[in-house]
Amino acid sequence: MPGSRLRLIAGLLATLAAAAPALADDSLIYGKTDPAAKAGGKITVGSLIEPPSLDPFLQGADARIRVSGLMYQGLFFEDQAGIPRPLLAASVTVAPDAKTYTFKLREGVKFHTGQAMSSADVKYSYDWMRDSKNGSPGAGDLSSVTSIDAPDATTVVFNLSRPNAALPMTLTNKYGAVVPNGYFAAADAGTKFNEVSVGTGPYKLKVFRPNSVLVLERNKDYWQKGLPYIDEVTFATMPNSAAVVVALQNRRIDLALFSRPQDAEQLKTAPGVEVKRWPSLNQKTIDLDVKYAQLKDVRVRQAIALAVDKEAVLKASIAGYGTVIGTMVIGMQDSWGVPIAQLANQKVDIAKAKALLAEAGLADGFDIDLTTIIGYDWMDAGAVTIAEQLKQIGIRVNIKKIDLGVWIRNFRAREMGFTFNDWGTTPDPSLLFYRHFRAAPQGADFRNWNNAKASELLDRGQEETDPVKRKAIYTEFQKLLAEDPVSIMMFSADLITGQRDRLKNYDQHATGWYFGLIKAWLAN
Amino acid sequence: MFRFLATRLASAAVAALLSSLAVFLLMRAVPGDIVGQMLGQSGNDRTAEAALRGFFGLDRPLWAQFGDWLANTFTGNLGRSWYQGRPVATLVWDAFLVTAEIAVATLVIATLIGVPLGVLAGIREGTRTDAAIQAFNLLGLSAPVFWIGLMLMVGASALLEWSPPFAYMPPTVDLAENINIIILPVLSLSLLQAAAYSHFVRDTMVTELRREYVRAAIAKGLAPRQVYFKHALRNILIPLVTFIGLILIQILGGAVVIESLFSLPGLGRLILSGIQGRDYPVVQGALLFVVLIAIVVNFAIDLLYGLIDPRLRS
Repeated sequence: MPGSRLRLIAGLLATLAAAAPALADDSLIYGKTDPAAKAGGKITVGSLIEPPSLDPFLQGADARIRVSGLMYQGLFFEDQAGIPRPLLAASVTVAPDAKTYTFKLREGVKFHTGQAMSSADVKYSYDWMRDSKNGSPGAGDLSSVTSIDAPDATTVVFNLSRPNAALPMTLTNKYGAVVPNGYFAAADAGTKFNEVSVGTGPYKLKVFRPNSVLVLERNKDYWQKGLPYIDEVTFATMPNSAAVVVALQNRRIDLALFSRPQDAEQLKTAPGVEVKRWPSLNQKTIDLDVKYAQLKDVRVRQAIALAVDKEAVLKASIAGYGTVIGTMVIGMQDSWGVPIAQLANQKVDIAKAKALLAEAGLADGFDIDLTTIIGYDWMDAGAVTIAEQLKQIGIRVNIKKIDLGVWIRNFRAREMGFTFNDWGTTPDPSLLFYRHFRAAPQGADFRNWNNAKASELLDRGQEETDPVKRKAIYTEFQKLLAEDPVSIMMFSADLITGQRDRLKNYDQHATGWYFGLIKAWLAN
Repeated sequence: MFRFLATRLASAAVAALLSSLAVFLLMRAVPGDIVGQMLGQSGNDRTAEAALRGFFGLDRPLWAQFGDWLANTFTGNLGRSWYQGRPVATLVWDAFLVTAEIAVATLVIATLIGVPLGVLAGIREGTRTDAAIQAFNLLGLSAPVFWIGLMLMVGASALLEWSPPFAYMPPTVDLAENINIIILPVLSLSLLQAAAYSHFVRDTMVTELRREYVRAAIAKGLAPRQVYFKHALRNILIPLVTFIGLILIQILGGAVVIESLFSLPGLGRLILSGIQGRDYPVVQGALLFVVLIAIVVNFAIDLLYGLIDPRLRS
């Protein structure tokens, strides 16, 4: 499989690079189609998290993206195989120097407002997103774009200062979307998103009552004829996993995505409920701030990596519902990853870890705070396990739980210390690594790594359009990251869904977002 | 009476102002703000941070931010939620209606259960009935409200294969659905408060029944029922009214936990989500409202004293 998937990506990128138009294949958008599908019905989805707001240009919060992707669309769809499939774009042509992308837009697309979408809307939306004054977290990903032109109603041209092979994947649904031209002229435009949706997606906003429910209704004018099948989707904000389990058993809800896989255990024997596991694009990591205490010394970082038994942490924190990883999320391992056997500091080696600490003048060990985030349950058991493992090499861990807001503040200020992290990606290596590990100012370099070699590789990886060369660059980068572990990538947790048997053809997208609802249907 | 009212109003205004200032400063003392939450683990672009800080007015001095908020509050404008864009006054009122429904229903049920139990235990002091009621009191007072709520939820599911709906429905829209939604949270809170009531009423009743006037009344040949309900019970009304006030405030506190447990969009959850999201206008507005409720409740209790005890009217 790895080879075939890679060939698939290689084929697509080669097509882009060869300047031939890549055509949209609608049947591949949003997952597989079920020929037996029937239209109609309403479902309730139980969710432990709720979007703070529905503005698709703000907040990278998973809670928002999970649902906004059903209402708003970008030019491409993030196929979890790592392929950006044309969505609002119908085709794309790339200039030989890879600095000009010309998109032909799909025709017959209407906004929820009823007006037809044109190139002016696309230009306006992406110009808004890339203007950093507007606060979109996705602005940095479009830093290579110098201007956007709309020569005619169905053509949009992105002009780049340097090649950016990740551009199509950047124009997917995580940050920003296509909204009507001039939308933000109204003073309350940002908050209006919470009352009326203005996207092009298969679902429209019906009601959003924070701390209670979010209701989406079928967009009858949706451009993919016949989709979606389900008339109405209610996202009920649930208080805890126990309530989700009870609600699934009692038919109050039809679908739930579990944040802790082991919570779904008790549903395995529940009649009428099916529990499924899906690969994810998420990873649980231990991050090491290179400016923090003893972590300044690369030998200490290596010693910690050698003392961490990833398999044990995986079992303790999420009951083994996941896969140990090296330096790549499991959903992209086949396409972009390096086999763990070829990476340094992956196997537990206590003797070597102790030797490294001794070499660093820390033979007696030291005390260090390990930060976990309140509300991230897996971190609690994980932290205790890590503490026990590090005790073997003399490192005494003090577990410190902090509020998410405080954690984000520390993270953005590059004062993260020694911390657990939990992050996901859209399926492109540049989007996964660049902002995290590229030295400032181009990247955020949250861990204060400031590694010139890594930055050079990440720049090249972003610009390289030849898939084979690109793969080689990211292989080299990952080996470097493993040798100098500023982020110990432990495992990707599987996505676990519990669903009532009347819900058919629901495929959980690897990002954790609810794209699968678009082609799901209800049996009577 | 006028002087009494004026004094109470002045002290209430000072309490509201000081608590607002405390909330304002505490919220800003907590590291992290809405800008960080919005940008999360995104890029290193400080322009976006500065722009968003300017948009929310977070780049201005603290005294100016508080002054603006205070000036707007005096005109009845609590601002808008930074996330949702809706007026804070609307959000707070909508949430209050949910919390008020829970609180009133709890108060009624807890009173109907707790007071009779307390009276009965007081009258039957030292008997098995008294011991059984005291055991109930002990259980109710010692079991955490979230545990009771969770047990009710799991119990209802296991025994009845039933769980409450999760989308709140106001009683004015669909009363049956509303009762379905609030029954478990109200029962969770009621059990605790009924035990508190019962415990308090029993102790007060026992003390009252040992007073000389009770012995005299019984010696005069008055029927026990008359002694208990006409004399003793009337005399425990004053402390009971004080206690009702305390219970009401306690219910509001318990509502924070119970609303989170049962996904009810009340004041507790509004404040909690506001704090987590660093939505300062929502937290400040909602907590000011809670302080005002506490003031009004205490004020109403003072007035009730006057009605119950003729000696206080002068």
